[in-house]
Amino acid sequence: MTVQAVADGSIEIIGVTCCFGSRVALRDLTLTLSERRIGIIGRNGSGKTTLARLVAGLIAPDAGTLHVGGVDVHADRKAAIRKVGILFQNPDHQIIFPTVEEELAFGLRQLGQTKSDARKGAHAMLARFGRENWHDRSVDSLSQGQRHLVCLMAVLAMQPSVILLDEPFSGLDIPTTRALRGYLDSLPAMLVHVTHDPTAISGYDRAIWLDDGRVAGDGPVAEVLERYLAAMEGAGDADADL
Amino acid sequence: MERQITLIALFAALIAVLGLVPKFTLASGIPITAQGMGIMLCGTVLGARRGALAVLLFLGLVALGLPLLAGGRGGLGVFAGPTVGFLIGFPIAAFVAGLITERLRKAPVFPAALLAAVLGGIVVLYIPGILGMMVMLNLTLKQAAISMLPFIPGDVIKAGLAAALTASLYKARPASVLSRA
Amino acid sequence: MLTLTSDIRTPYHGLRAGVKLAALCGATVGLFWLQSVAAMAGGVAAVTALYLVPGPRFLRDGLRQLKPLWVFVALVIAWHAVMLDAMAGVTIALRLVAAVALANLVTMTTRFDDLIDVVMWLLTPLRRLGLNTVPLGFAIVLVVRFIPVLMDKASKLFDAWRARSARRVGWQVALPITLGAIDDAEHVAEALRARGGLIASQEA
Repeated sequence: MTVQAVADGSIEIIGVTCCFGSRVALRDLTLTLSERRIGIIGRNGSGKTTLARLVAGLIAPDAGTLHVGGVDVHADRKAAIRKVGILFQNPDHQIIFPTVEEELAFGLRQLGQTKSDARKGAHAMLARFGRENWHDRSVDSLSQGQRHLVCLMAVLAMQPSVILLDEPFSGLDIPTTRALRGYLDSLPAMLVHVTHDPTAISGYDRAIWLDDGRVAGDGPVAEVLERYLAAMEGAGDADADL
Repeated sequence: MERQITLIALFAALIAVLGLVPKFTLASGIPITAQGMGIMLCGTVLGARRGALAVLLFLGLVALGLPLLAGGRGGLGVFAGPTVGFLIGFPIAAFVAGLITERLRKAPVFPAALLAAVLGGIVVLYIPGILGMMVMLNLTLKQAAISMLPFIPGDVIKAGLAAALTASLYKARPASVLSRA
Repeated sequence: MLTLTSDIRTPYHGLRAGVKLAALCGATVGLFWLQSVAAMAGGVAAVTALYLVPGPRFLRDGLRQLKPLWVFVALVIAWHAVMLDAMAGVTIALRLVAAVALANLVTMTTRFDDLIDVVMWLLTPLRRLGLNTVPLGFAIVLVVRFIPVLMDKASKLFDAWRARSARRVGWQVALPITLGAIDDAEHVAEALRARGGLIASQEA
């Protein structure tokens, strides 16, 4: 995959610090993310989920600035939802509406579309994935993998330039993971994939290893993963999250 | 039997959660505290007896010192204050809402739940609520009623939402809507 | 588990819960019985003194617990001023403050577990009549355990809404939150039945 700069969705992180009470999740982070496929790798508690939520504009940094395509994603939510989408780990904690059509149309309504335009947009998205017959299905009747797909479609319907993925393959079996990964790989948007699993970001343009809120590695995926895995091997039981 | 206990306990937890999350809003932008909706849901979903038990369990835990009332309030102090009438009214409201939903189980869910939520969650609730304010604050009926007037529109909306939620819940989990069993 | 019990040590923490509750009942009855503004002022002064014993930080915490009350104090005084009976308004306001502050004091100085014991003790006559109080204890445990679980789900759903909307979170999130409560109830019930049911689990 050639490295392509995606100026439209370039993520500028300057001196960002993020704390939760006394716990410092991210320390003075400065990064420019413009490659098409970026992996953020790290242990649980390394700050990677906090970073994802910051880039999605869901929380504000305690220090520093963060812009996506020139937009302050926390302050300007209207512009932010056009720029950035985020796919969370668990569809059951993400899907708000009882039917597939409502869930897909929701984002489009929030972008300002009329009810009928949003419905049409939802149907078009379902058609893109060959799932037209899902439009009147209840989310309850779908399998876990199918719900993951609904979440992806809901994000894609809003056509963001940047899509954040926070451990999107959790709980899925191997073939389903492969299929979902196939959909993701074909997307034109910039993907920032947060994960603790190195195999999820193979073939990506850049990997950033976060450890304890700081950048411990940044560069070509193979290189960073080698150092990350070495560190994980070296970590004794005392380092385990038990 | 286990299911009844767990539903009662989880709905008591739900009342707390609906009070502790940030305020919801309607499309028109009016933010509301959803805890009152939780009380109504106990009645419309669990029925009279179990709904009231869920609310009593909730109130018991508040009395025991858990900060479960909207805004993180709780403890014995809230029972010594001016809103004690409403607290006493909560389980009664759930009971009446449940009773009406049960009696109307042959009718379509939404109108039945709406009537239940309005009669139980508003009319029946405000009677002990206003009486309590009269006693605790030494106000006349008129004064207490006027003081509570601004909250009525919000509560009417909550009743409508509770009814809509009950209808959706009945569609999704008919076996768990004990009031229609 | 987050309760309103203060972690500032006071001499009241050591008193038995039942004794404190009985004293609270007596004092509250007294406050409502006495009518004069002097008695109410005395009551407030006495309660303030009780709060001062453990130190100024405790008093500050106590005042913070009274914050929701001030709007009612203002309401009372305003209505009574309208009736040209401001003094009565002040009396009622003082009574309110004293009663609520005293009740809060018991809550701040009594452990949750000790209060549960009092509740169970109060239910003894019902147990003698054959009522089974085991499900009550279990229900309390369930509520306490599941509030954080439901809160976590709720906050994730709020995030999911805010990630796609510039507007404040709408009422529709109440549906998946409530469904979560219902589904969790079913799962726990199933787990219980798998272990032989509620009574058997408690007897085990």
